[in-house]
This record gives sequence, C-alpha cells and structure tokens, in this order.
Amino acid sequence: MDENITEALKLMLVGMATVFAVLYLIIGASNLLIAFVNRFVGEDEKPAPKAQSQGATINPAVSQAISQAVNIATGGKAKVDNIKPL
Amino acid sequence: MEQILQKIYNMTAFSAIAENPSFLIMYALAFVLLYLGIKKKYEPLLLIPIAFGVLIANFPGGDMGVSAVDGNGMVKLADGTMKCIWDMSLPSIAHDLGLMNFIYYMLIKTGFIPPIIFMGVGALTDFGPMLRNLKLAIFGAGAQFGIFAVLLVACNFFTMKESASLAIIGGADGPTAIFTTIKLAPHLLGPIAIAAYSYMALVPVIVPLVVRLLCTEKELKINMKEQDKLYPSKTEFKNMRVLKIIFPIATTTIVALIVPSAVPLVGMLMFGNLIKEIGSDTGRLFDAASNSIMNAATIFLGLSVGATMTVDAFLNWTTIGIVVGGFFAFGLSIAGGILLAKLFNLFSKKKVNPLIGATGLSAVPMASRVANEIALKYDPRNHVLNYCMSSNISGVIGSAVAAGILISFLG
Repeated sequence: MDENITEALKLMLVGMATVFAVLYLIIGASNLLIAFVNRFVGEDEKPAPKAQSQGATINPAVSQAISQAVNIATGGKAKVDNIKPL
Repeated sequence: MEQILQKIYNMTAFSAIAENPSFLIMYALAFVLLYLGIKKKYEPLLLIPIAFGVLIANFPGGDMGVSAVDGNGMVKLADGTMKCIWDMSLPSIAHDLGLMNFIYYMLIKTGFIPPIIFMGVGALTDFGPMLRNLKLAIFGAGAQFGIFAVLLVACNFFTMKESASLAIIGGADGPTAIFTTIKLAPHLLGPIAIAAYSYMALVPVIVPLVVRLLCTEKELKINMKEQDKLYPSKTEFKNMRVLKIIFPIATTTIVALIVPSAVPLVGMLMFGNLIKEIGSDTGRLFDAASNSIMNAATIFLGLSVGATMTVDAFLNWTTIGIVVGGFFAFGLSIAGGILLAKLFNLFSKKKVNPLIGATGLSAVPMASRVANEIALKYDPRNHVLNYCMSSNISGVIGSAVAAGILISFLG
C-alpha cells in the first residue's frame, strides 16, 4: 500500500512536470514559429475586398429566397421590408 | 397447452428478467442516458449510441453484450465451456460470442478506434484560438491535476494500473480514457468509458458547480477583451495559414520526442489537423477523416462501449468506485485549472478570468461553450469563448501527454 502511494506521488510529480514542460515547449516553439513565419514567409494573400457602392442592391433571387425563408420560419407572421448588404 | 405457453415464456426475455431483476436497473440507466442525450442534448453523438448499446446488451438471449473476460483472458461460451479469448479467431468470436464481441475485439480492444477518433477530432479542431492566445494554453496543464490527485487516492483501493485507468477520466477525454484503459486495465474498459463519457456529457452541470465553489463574482467578471485593450499583445500574425500548417508538424515532433507513448493519440490528432489546414490539396482526406471515418468510428465505439455494460460488469463495487473516483478526478481537474488561473493572477498585471483555467480539461468545445455562458451571466459583454478555446484545445494535448506518461510508467 505504502509502495503504491510512493509510486503514485512520484507519478504525480513526474506527470505534472512533464505535462507543464511539454505545453511550455509547445508554447515556446509556437512563438519561435510565429517569428520565423513573420520573418521568412510572405504575408498571407488575402482576397481583395469587394468594392461595394453605397446603393448596392441584392440579387432579386437572393432577396426572394430570404423572404421565403423568413416566411416559413415565422409561419407567415413576419414580413421582410428591406434587405441591406453589410 | 400449458407446456407450450411455458416454452414461449422461456423463449422471451421475461423469464430471465424475472429470475434476475437487476436487468431493470440497466434499462433504467440506458433510459436515463438516452434522455440526457435526446432531450437534454448532452453529447448526443456519443451518449445516444452508448445508451442504446447498454440497452441492447442487457436483453437476455440477445447476445449483444460484450462478454466479461477474466484476468487470464478466459471467457464463458453459451454452452458453459471456458475458452481463452486470445486463442480465438475473429470469425469464431463472431460465431461463438455474437456480433458485438466481434466489433469490440476487432476495433476497440486492439486500440484501433481511439486514435481514429483523435484524427477526426484533429480535423475538426482549429488551433487558431490557441495560437492567438498562446499564454493561456498553459492552463491545459493545470487542469490535468485531477488525474494525478485521484491516482494518489485510488491506489489505496485498486491496483496501480487500475487506478491510472480510473484517474484518466479526469482528462475529460473519452478516446484518451479508452486508449489508456485498453493498455493498462482492459477489464475495466466498460465502466471507465461510460463514466468518462457520462461526465463529459455532464460538463454543463459539473463546470458551473466547481466554478461556483471556487470563484468569486469579481473574478468571473474579469473581461478578457478589456484586459487585451489595457495590455495589448505584441505578437502579430502575418501568415496564419502557413503557421497553422507547420504547427501540427512541430507539435507532433515535440511530443514524440518527449513522450513517445502519446504519439498514437497526439500524432493522429495532429495528422487530422494537418490535412484540414493544407486545404484543397488534401480536401478529400479531410472530408473522409472528419465525416465518414469519424462518424463510423463514433457509432462503433459508442455501441460497443455501451455493450460492455452488462449486469455482471456494472452492478459491483468496482464500478461504483470508478463512478465516484471519476467524478472527483473530473472535478479536481476543473479545480486545478481554476487555481492555476488564480495563481497566475497573483503575479500578473494582465488578469485572467478563472473560467479559462476551468476549460483546461479536454471536453472540446462544450467546456468552452459552458464557460462562455457563465461569463455572459455575470457580464453580458464578456465573451470568453475564444480565450477558453485556447486552454481547452491545449487540454486535449495535455491529457494525451498525461495518458502517455501513465502508460510509459505502468504499462
């Protein structure tokens, strides 16, 4: 019984220390990776934002689909008056 | 006529149930688990197959229960003779012991399914929140405390291998618990898997309970976004996509070098994540790993683990010990994470909401969702989900590493 407790205590110390060590290493390695990628790999190519004019309109088919979806979801109680692109 | 009626009665399950009413307890357990899965929606993808497995395994004559095997691998066949399961071929297991034993010995007992599930989990995991909040990832280590604390107590009542299998429930990770138990105490697989998945399903109940016991209102109101504004991070991310591709490769290498026995779990987790992050070039592999393979593995795992819960295997003191010990392992892991967060706050200007410590246990993403709901209760503007995901995801790695250590030392 005492042997078991001693072994369990050892496992607790070694186990917690190893889990902390591994996660610290992963955190450290990730920081190095971030620095490496920032320095040696180019910036991510982001798709250019679509130009949207002030009075941009919604495709009529999309507008109709949204209206129908709202109609079904609310059982005809709600009506779509206006749809604006964000 | 009476003889015919008697034969019909004996043919049905009623006669065996009347002889041994304990079956009714198992049906009640199955119905409770089904209720939690269907009505309460607690981990329904896992709990419903497990609960149904429990149900079908406990109809006498159905031959859908996984047969109990003694320490020497001896199993009792239908004709009463004993045979060593390890000397039986898979077809003879299917023929002599039924379909569920075939599935169990082919997929679960070989240790095949847990790493496959980890691959699927990896394919569904985004390490972005962890990379954006790297410091918070350390709470994934604090939340492994319950594993080792319960090991310390359980070794007074169980063997070391059994205690370690019980304690790993504190990792709050089903596949990890199954993988460890297969390696260390395969005869306890049924109750340990059920306890692990049941407590994972009960995360919405257990996390708030422990948080209420250990955290003050002031601590729970710590707003992480405001802390970020007060003490902004200096790290900038120029190319997250490349970073996310290199991360699983680097993590696998680090873990493999330090705890090789954790590689089946961490390696497969990171492989699943890698094929997700590469994008369209491995899109078909990602689709298979995250959908068809993952779903099939979940069905077989759930049903066969549930089927291990037969009357003989469940209704005994060992199982009760596992259920109680598992609860403490789970609760202490959450407490370990919270206390580490409190300790961190003592020495750091930038405060951390202790809920982020509480989510250091695996149970991804449910623990984070629950923590977010708790934070919103105290401050409707305090969205902590992304911060919790950091410790939550690192908890998956932490519990797999803890399992690796237990297997290395005791296996």
